[in-house]
Amino acid sequence: MNLYIDKKDSAAAKNVVVDDMILTKDLTTTAGSKMLEGYKSLFAAEVADKLEGAGYTVTGKANVGELAIDLAGETSYFGATELEGKLTNAASVIVKNEDVCGAVVFEVNGANMRSAALCDLILVKPTYGTVSRFGTIPGACSGDTVCVMAKTTGAAHELLDAVAGYDCKDGTMHADEKCALLKSGAEFAPVKKVAVANSLCDTADPAKVEAFKTFLAKAGVEAVEVDADILTSASAAWTALMCAELCNNVSRYDGVKYGYRTKNYKNIDELYTNSRTEAFGMLLKTAILYGSDALSTGNYEKVYDKGLRVRRVISEYFASLFAEYDAVLMPVTSKDEYTMADIEADRYISFKENRFTSPAMITGLPAVVVGGVQLVGKAFSENALLDLAEKFEKEGK
Amino acid sequence: MKYETVIGLEVHVELATESKIFCSCSAKFGAEQNDHVCPACCGMPGMLPIVNKRVVDLGMTAGMMLNCDINRTTTFDKKSYYYPDLPGSYQTTQWFAPICVNGKVKINTSKGEKFVRIKQIHMEEDAGKLVHDDWTDTSLVDYNRTSVPLIEIVSQPDLSSAEEVLAYLERLRDLLRFAKVSDCRFEQGSMRCDVNLSIRPEGSDKLGVRTEMKNMNSLSAIERAIDYEVARHIDALENHTEELVQETRRWDDVKGKSYSMRTKETAGDYRYFPDPNVMPVVIDDEWFDSIRASLPEFPEVKKAKYTEELGLSEYDADQLTQSRAYCDCFEAALAESGMAKESANWIISDCAKALNRRQETADMLKINGKALGQLIKLVSEDKVGRANAKKILDAMFEEDIDPLAYAEKNGFIVSNDTGAIEAIVKAVVEADPKSVADFKGGKEKALMALFGKCMKELKGNCNPQVLREILIDQINKA
Amino acid sequence: MTKEILLRLESENQLALDDTQRDEIIAFMDAQGVEFAKLDAIDTENTERMVHVMPILTVVREDVMIKNFTRDELQAGAPETMDGYWQVPRLVE
Repeated sequence: MNLYIDKKDSAAAKNVVVDDMILTKDLTTTAGSKMLEGYKSLFAAEVADKLEGAGYTVTGKANVGELAIDLAGETSYFGATELEGKLTNAASVIVKNEDVCGAVVFEVNGANMRSAALCDLILVKPTYGTVSRFGTIPGACSGDTVCVMAKTTGAAHELLDAVAGYDCKDGTMHADEKCALLKSGAEFAPVKKVAVANSLCDTADPAKVEAFKTFLAKAGVEAVEVDADILTSASAAWTALMCAELCNNVSRYDGVKYGYRTKNYKNIDELYTNSRTEAFGMLLKTAILYGSDALSTGNYEKVYDKGLRVRRVISEYFASLFAEYDAVLMPVTSKDEYTMADIEADRYISFKENRFTSPAMITGLPAVVVGGVQLVGKAFSENALLDLAEKFEKEGK
Repeated sequence: MKYETVIGLEVHVELATESKIFCSCSAKFGAEQNDHVCPACCGMPGMLPIVNKRVVDLGMTAGMMLNCDINRTTTFDKKSYYYPDLPGSYQTTQWFAPICVNGKVKINTSKGEKFVRIKQIHMEEDAGKLVHDDWTDTSLVDYNRTSVPLIEIVSQPDLSSAEEVLAYLERLRDLLRFAKVSDCRFEQGSMRCDVNLSIRPEGSDKLGVRTEMKNMNSLSAIERAIDYEVARHIDALENHTEELVQETRRWDDVKGKSYSMRTKETAGDYRYFPDPNVMPVVIDDEWFDSIRASLPEFPEVKKAKYTEELGLSEYDADQLTQSRAYCDCFEAALAESGMAKESANWIISDCAKALNRRQETADMLKINGKALGQLIKLVSEDKVGRANAKKILDAMFEEDIDPLAYAEKNGFIVSNDTGAIEAIVKAVVEADPKSVADFKGGKEKALMALFGKCMKELKGNCNPQVLREILIDQINKA
Repeated sequence: MTKEILLRLESENQLALDDTQRDEIIAFMDAQGVEFAKLDAIDTENTERMVHVMPILTVVREDVMIKNFTRDELQAGAPETMDGYWQVPRLVE
């Protein structure tokens, strides 16, 4: 099983892994694709530099599904990864089993959130624009987010402290004083009232959500069930936006400048088509074609533009919830374990299972995965979400 | 039947910036292949676009020069297609909210004055360049030009002849050069033009079948191409020689013919969508006003001022207003010296010659106008001779110098010591009795020879009138 | 989704599928189309599209030239180069 795409030995005290959507200078970066097999970047991601700056050593590159759009790493050209027979991505296996402080991972379609939930790890998907995307392999830029994954909330928050912060090389970032709001020690209002998103709970195994609600009751945090029907539309909307952006972002891989080039070509079109056809997997190809269709003349208004409008409707719905509640409790997966049999039954399962992760992806709101569930909060509320997660860690089990 | 021609132009102009539009690579023309590139401009993953503010400044400037409305919130979009000169397989451009809309430009032709409406101006990145290698039968890709900032100026179909097209293009070029938006050099590709053309019966309000000729890069080629296309369209309509189809055509200026371009590139769906990596650019009042305040007077306004207020001739005023650099230099020299005619002469004659020797254009005049004014004063006050003043001017082309200090350092100050002058003249006269005899015998030319020898001995540092008097005096004494 | 449209999409995206793959993708796109069509129930008539999720505006940099990479570095991983150019099959000219 190929947990690592590349790794190096380290005698340092604070070791981390980053996933293979994050560029590093000394280690190869492949995005889980044959297209980038052996690819060496000329520069490192800002987060890799920030980790080193905070005293961490990046010791390896965790395998990812091709362009990180799959369920939990099953589409990697370098092989799927499992923990005790259950499908889960490489970063989560490494964090679970190895002596590392945690992992810094790149979220496009929920694979990391799901893997963290399946492995009972902590994952923080911070507010969009608080962690630099400079040096990440672009997936769907309007939602792509660098996340931290660790065994404990404390370790996760330390990693978040290291990677969050303004970077002038990313044009979508908040000012440093905003980024500082999510760091340890910043003031925050503790979570007192949680909305439980019924529409999403209805299609998931209720055990983990119920366990969390029991903890909330014990901790004196009010939990109120809300219909949240609109959140069920996030999956279709995010899938369309994501595939469209992805289609554009992966059009750079064409066999001309770097990466895989087919041996079988006589002219430029054959070079392009055969390189891409031979190097990309089926899920990515489908995503490219679906995304291209969403953007095409005649469909743009109906699909892409509609997706952008639904994104605002969902954002406004969250804003209305946050007028009353401090966080929204949702499932992350529909069941406790997935296997390759699930993938064989439906290759496109990630575009359905993303119904739990798409609300936070499409809005850029922060989410903390803990105890197999997630808490979604308003922008910059990471401290409050982590505070509640930490209480769960201590008292909930 | 009589026909009329309907032409709309898309003019691409490379902006005069130091760096590219979304990355910090050099935007300068003429480097070795793939020298001005970084991971972003060769399509590698991980770099994110950050908009060069100067590009927005110049986009706004262009819009203001062409009487456009400025979109105070302007956004960038991605356009997708595969071609080896496009490293990301997408171009970042403006589709939904371009920086400028609804402009107009006045042109003058033999038929009189006319306004050409501008539909919009948008900012975008240029593509790279392909070179074709016959030996290996391959194409070679150079990304230096990738992401060099462009504006595309889209006109309404208001033009009706090659003459109007040329007048419009020349007017655009003059205005944009004047505002330092671009050097607008067709020969280097910093100004290029797509010509959309159709023909219809005179008086008809229905547009005919439109063809587009892309990337025209010389005024004379544009003129020939339009004449050819008009004739081809009319021939097709009258004699049914071919069926006109809406298409992109390539102009072959050597063969004097246009050809259909049936490539995949022209057929595709560009699938525009807003770029998630570039936030909307909001132009606040302060930014807007600072650009408005930086606009130059139009060339014709300056020309009227030069002739009416400063008394320059039409010719001199035309010469000066052909270049913003000339005007700036002239106005600075005038402010320092107070001498309009002299300042104009130095620029139109001496500076122009120097630029010519350096193979530079009028827009490339970079000498310090204030220093030129000081030099003009030194000459008019008889402190420096004219020949030496030209040497000082040459030095001013090399570096920013103080003319007086330079003259002193190099011994270019006119001497007022008549005793010393007399001694030198006396020596010259004594050494050349033949010329003295010739002059005395009535040969006026001999005096010029002696005068020249004296001036050379004096290193030019003598008032010619004073020298002439002393020379005649010495000859008479000899 | 029809095979005809799919062929155009393949061509636009420089991909070539076989018919089994096409059938699979057409089935996916039809199913996803049904899912997406459910969004029609949401009235977005007066909703502005949301391209960027956070209200950040006008991120610009000064016009300063910086050179960080050499041509050799940039072409180190290139499939084919010649004389400092990237090399591709000849394009019709």
